Amino acid sequence: MPSAIEVHGLSKQFGSVRAVDDLTFEVPEGRVTGFLGPNGSGKTTTLRILLGLVSASGGTATFGGRRYANLDHPVHRVGAVLEATSFHPSRRAEDHLKSVAIGALIPLSRVDETLDLVGLSDVARRRVGKFSLGMRQRLQLATALLGDPEILIFDEPSNGLDPQGIQWLRTFIRHQASLGHAVLVSSHLLSEMEETVDDVVIVSHGRLVLQTTLADLAQRAGTSTGMRIRSPELARLTAALATIPVAYRQVAADTLVIDGATPEWFGPFAAQHRIILYELVHERGSLEDVFLSLTHGFDAANPGLAYGTHTGPAPMSGGLA
Amino acid sequence: MIALVRSEWLKMRTTAVPWVLTGIALVINGLLILVIFLSHDGRNGPNGGGAFVSPGYTVPHTAQQLRNLVGSGFQGYILALLLGVLCITTEFRHKTVTTSFLVTPHRPRFVAGKLITSALLGAGLAVIMLAATVIGGGLTLSARGGSFSDMIHQLPAVAPGMILVFALFAILGVGIGSLLTNQVAAIIVTLGWFIILEGILVQLVHSAEKWVPTGAATAASNLTRGRAVDFGLFNWWQGTLLMLAYGLLFAGVGSIILTRRDIT
Repeated sequence: MPSAIEVHGLSKQFGSVRAVDDLTFEVPEGRVTGFLGPNGSGKTTTLRILLGLVSASGGTATFGGRRYANLDHPVHRVGAVLEATSFHPSRRAEDHLKSVAIGALIPLSRVDETLDLVGLSDVARRRVGKFSLGMRQRLQLATALLGDPEILIFDEPSNGLDPQGIQWLRTFIRHQASLGHAVLVSSHLLSEMEETVDDVVIVSHGRLVLQTTLADLAQRAGTSTGMRIRSPELARLTAALATIPVAYRQVAADTLVIDGATPEWFGPFAAQHRIILYELVHERGSLEDVFLSLTHGFDAANPGLAYGTHTGPAPMSGGLA
Repeated sequence: MIALVRSEWLKMRTTAVPWVLTGIALVINGLLILVIFLSHDGRNGPNGGGAFVSPGYTVPHTAQQLRNLVGSGFQGYILALLLGVLCITTEFRHKTVTTSFLVTPHRPRFVAGKLITSALLGAGLAVIMLAATVIGGGLTLSARGGSFSDMIHQLPAVAPGMILVFALFAILGVGIGSLLTNQVAAIIVTLGWFIILEGILVQLVHSAEKWVPTGAATAASNLTRGRAVDFGLFNWWQGTLLMLAYGLLFAGVGSIILTRRDIT
């Protein structure tokens, strides 16, 4: 599968902050790639470097080997939906699109087509200042689609969209991929992207944590099940657990999560040690858990979550099953 | 580049900026015409200088007086200047520059589009003001017994210079705006220089007059008359080149800074 987007050794230094650090990943054609990481992990900076809005301190970010600024007709090649603030409030939606179409040598007939596509035909003559956040987001999308690009880049596109809007966007993104287009979508929530993406690029603190397929990530999630146990005798329980090779973490004053444990194993174990239990839950690992453990566990210096881990970074698989 | 200029024109006319500035220019122009016609009956002083109207007359009648009437909108150059400043700083104020840079990633090209568009709009503003003066001033002149055709005869002496100067000021405005993208700062610096600082500088260092933008522009305005040299200024084409040099120098440095700037 040829790569539509190639990011290689990309770095960006903002003063003393290293926003992007030696980041390398590729986005193939015909697939949706989720660009995932917590807020402040360098996603937006990376996308803006790709689009030539921010300069790189090192490395390259290219479309088929060419930087955005060197593309012959960038708007025909790449469509970008960035934050929903970049409109002049007194300009009408239609005029905003026309100004882009004229500047990029796109036939004006595309203005009505894209307005129709994103469902803004009725408000085409309304000033953008009166638009809701969701409408602005749709207008951003219409702007990105004007040139009918084969590469689409979305930065947190769900922000401001209502549930129907999000559902519509998912369908739209899947459709774009089915046309053979490359789609790169950033989000800080994996759960939002689960139904949409084929591949994931997970970043934390500007660095690549993992690039893989969603299927592979799901497999990892499957192995990260564990037991959540609430007990008034947590001290005795941890003492008992300390004698065996098992990873656990305390998530509340009276609650533990034991990674990789099963009820079949833990039930007899608790009975053997005569530990009183209030609650015993077999936790099914979710993609979100894997995502969180990957992005938070990646940097041990960042406490991030409300709990500490017993064995350093949260383990991907338990010692017992 | 034609596409870019058309796009810029659409962007400009879909904001209030050019319309408000044109409105202000026309109101000021109207007031100045009023002053001209009210300045009869020896109000010009005991010497009877009569820059606008000679003592004993009720309307302008000498060639110089009629030229002053036709060129009464000249002070509108400051609005052409602001037009240029706003043309570029509005993009930063409303963050529309993100979209503009996606369409035109080569930033000097973006600035060039603004320069050409603003120059055309500046020239257009001069044409609108001249037309308004010919209609408003001409009707008043005729109604009070003056010669409308004598006034029209002075149009070729005034109009080309005024159109040129307005275009030059609009270019200078884009240059200033590309250096100072903060809209409020750009407006304050622009008005502060042209209304206050430049005058003080010329008072202190008289020889600076021909070199400052207003001096260069005044020289350029004498395109079809050639009298600027009499006042210690450059001749018209030297003034034009100097004005262009200011505008393009600022725009060039502004483009370099913009090219290095991160749009976050």
